Amino acid sequence: MAEPLLEVSDLMVDYLADRATVRAVNHVSFSVQPGEFLGIVGESGCGKSTLLFAVAQLLSPPGEISGGKVTFRGNDMVRLSADALRHMRWRDYSVVMQSAMNSLNPMKSIGAQFKDTLQAHGKSSAQEIRARSAEVLSLVGIDAAHLQSYPHQLSGGMRQRAMIAMALLFTPQLVIMDEPTSALDVVAQQSLMSKVKDLQQRLGFAVVFVTHDMSVVSRYSDRVMVMYAGQVAEAAGTDAIFERPLHPYSRGLMDSFPSIRGPRRSLSGIPGSPPNLARPPSGCRFHPRCPEVMATCPTTEPELYNVRGARVRCLLYAEEADHAG
Amino acid sequence: MAGQAGNSVAPAGEALLRATNLTRHFRLGGMFSKRMLHAVDDFDLAIKEREIVALVGESGSGKSTVARLLARVYSPTRGEIYFRDRALKSLRSRKDMLWYRGEVAMVFQDPYSAFNPVFRVSHGVMRNLVLHRPELDRHQRREEAKRVFESVGLSAEMLKKFPHEMSGGERQRVGFAQALAVRPKLILADEPVSMLDVSIRAGVLNMMANLREQEGVSILYITHDIASARYVADRVVVMYAGHLVETGATEDVLQEPKHPYTQLLLSAVADPREKLASIAADSGEPPKVIDPSEGCRFRWRCPYAIEKCAEVTPRPEPLGSRLVACHVAIADPERVTNSAGWTSMTKS
Repeated sequence: MAEPLLEVSDLMVDYLADRATVRAVNHVSFSVQPGEFLGIVGESGCGKSTLLFAVAQLLSPPGEISGGKVTFRGNDMVRLSADALRHMRWRDYSVVMQSAMNSLNPMKSIGAQFKDTLQAHGKSSAQEIRARSAEVLSLVGIDAAHLQSYPHQLSGGMRQRAMIAMALLFTPQLVIMDEPTSALDVVAQQSLMSKVKDLQQRLGFAVVFVTHDMSVVSRYSDRVMVMYAGQVAEAAGTDAIFERPLHPYSRGLMDSFPSIRGPRRSLSGIPGSPPNLARPPSGCRFHPRCPEVMATCPTTEPELYNVRGARVRCLLYAEEADHAG
Repeated sequence: MAGQAGNSVAPAGEALLRATNLTRHFRLGGMFSKRMLHAVDDFDLAIKEREIVALVGESGSGKSTVARLLARVYSPTRGEIYFRDRALKSLRSRKDMLWYRGEVAMVFQDPYSAFNPVFRVSHGVMRNLVLHRPELDRHQRREEAKRVFESVGLSAEMLKKFPHEMSGGERQRVGFAQALAVRPKLILADEPVSMLDVSIRAGVLNMMANLREQEGVSILYITHDIASARYVADRVVVMYAGHLVETGATEDVLQEPKHPYTQLLLSAVADPREKLASIAADSGEPPKVIDPSEGCRFRWRCPYAIEKCAEVTPRPEPLGSRLVACHVAIADPERVTNSAGWTSMTKS
């Protein structure tokens, strides 16, 4: 296999609170190949956004990386200086935020915001700026006339697409997306996703896409990583995870959205709520909510086992992994 | 328009709440501006007792305006709303309004901003009990607060909590408990699950279904997610740009949608349990309906549009057991088939 574009190994992120340290990201490892689409799925509070912030080096106190490495194109991002990072942002990797609808400056036109970014990275000819801005805007299906528009003149879906256009100004190799679709309704969500997928295939950048809705990534991602309580619960190819989810938590996520065809069946969702990371449950962190909990779960902490081509953190597979290993 | 009510809109008397020709326009710009935004136009709706009706549409389709009209946040530009056959227009006194608000309660979209952060979550429930059920004494109120909390799946201890101590799903349940405290006959739920994690949504939807069974309330469930509408609703009403485009029994409409817009909504549902060859490449959005001319408002996005669509506004007409507002579907129901139009558009 080729050298991965992004390699995260054993990453740990702590939030330092007055009384306790909250470990929001706990020994997380994954890699992204050039041009790959990775979906990261989990509930609110599972550490998925913190993970993205850590990867993009956007954490601010009280959050800090307390261990592990983030290697992007051979550089250890954790050790890079702020100045070195500044040169890489937008150019080599870009981030589309969760509330992209609100992360545009309301006082500036779309075009002026694109211009800022381009100028910060050394593009100074007015003609070049105009041409590139118009080009990326049309990539996401917005008329170039909207360069003169202010954010409030665009609909939610258009603002979101304008943010993605901005992320593509320099055609970076990696675009990190933090729930860009969750504020949109279903039709806008699908059209945005198919746009992202289309651009990804045409321009060849890699995508790390975070969402709480597993169904969103089902049609688009190459691999899916499910996170629970700061840890990787399961990671596998998209087809594998949707056809045979191994972790009871992944199965719960799969069973959370109603189907549009076939018989109407009752949904269980996942009872309870995600744990408080300041006091994570003992043993397997999912055991208080798990429908398949065993006697050993509250006491034994499961490792990330390699079984059937997937990585899964569940004691159900401990024995199988032993035999295989 | 009572004549075209057909099978899907309940006749007078049977319905708990009934709206006819409901219309709401908003003036854009200054006081002397003549530009009018048509948020809702000639909309008919009926909700029977113990019925869950889903109102489905994209952002900007006018579905929240309908909820606000029914909750009397806005008054209609035209048209009439009847609750238990009393015209809302005739309710003027404070006593009448209190009665109506005791019968029809509302639950809001955003559980993170719907509660006052300085009060415990019991505050809203208690206040509703004091206002709407003055016959209860202190002790009874406390008992009743516990009962409504338990009926939405929260423990009685939760009453002491502050909003920030609760998760989004729990807060949304508090919203329903607050609504239940007035013992309503109808709950208007405006996108109650869209801000929640997917894993939490199923629980709230199940709770809504339980409330109908146990408390006997009707629910108007407003959503953009047609799959969740299928999960809880008996009937669906699909709205587009202020118009009703299709309505009927949930299974009839969803298994065999006749309006091209309903088909678009269905094709946008991502379901990993089935593989789809292609999906709708539609990137359009509902138009802002400012001083509209005649014609179907969906025609710019519609793969089936014919000349007539630009000339005559389609009105909901019966087609089998449902109502559809589409010239093409009414003239030739077979032409508008399941998502075929959307798929062929993708290829071109």
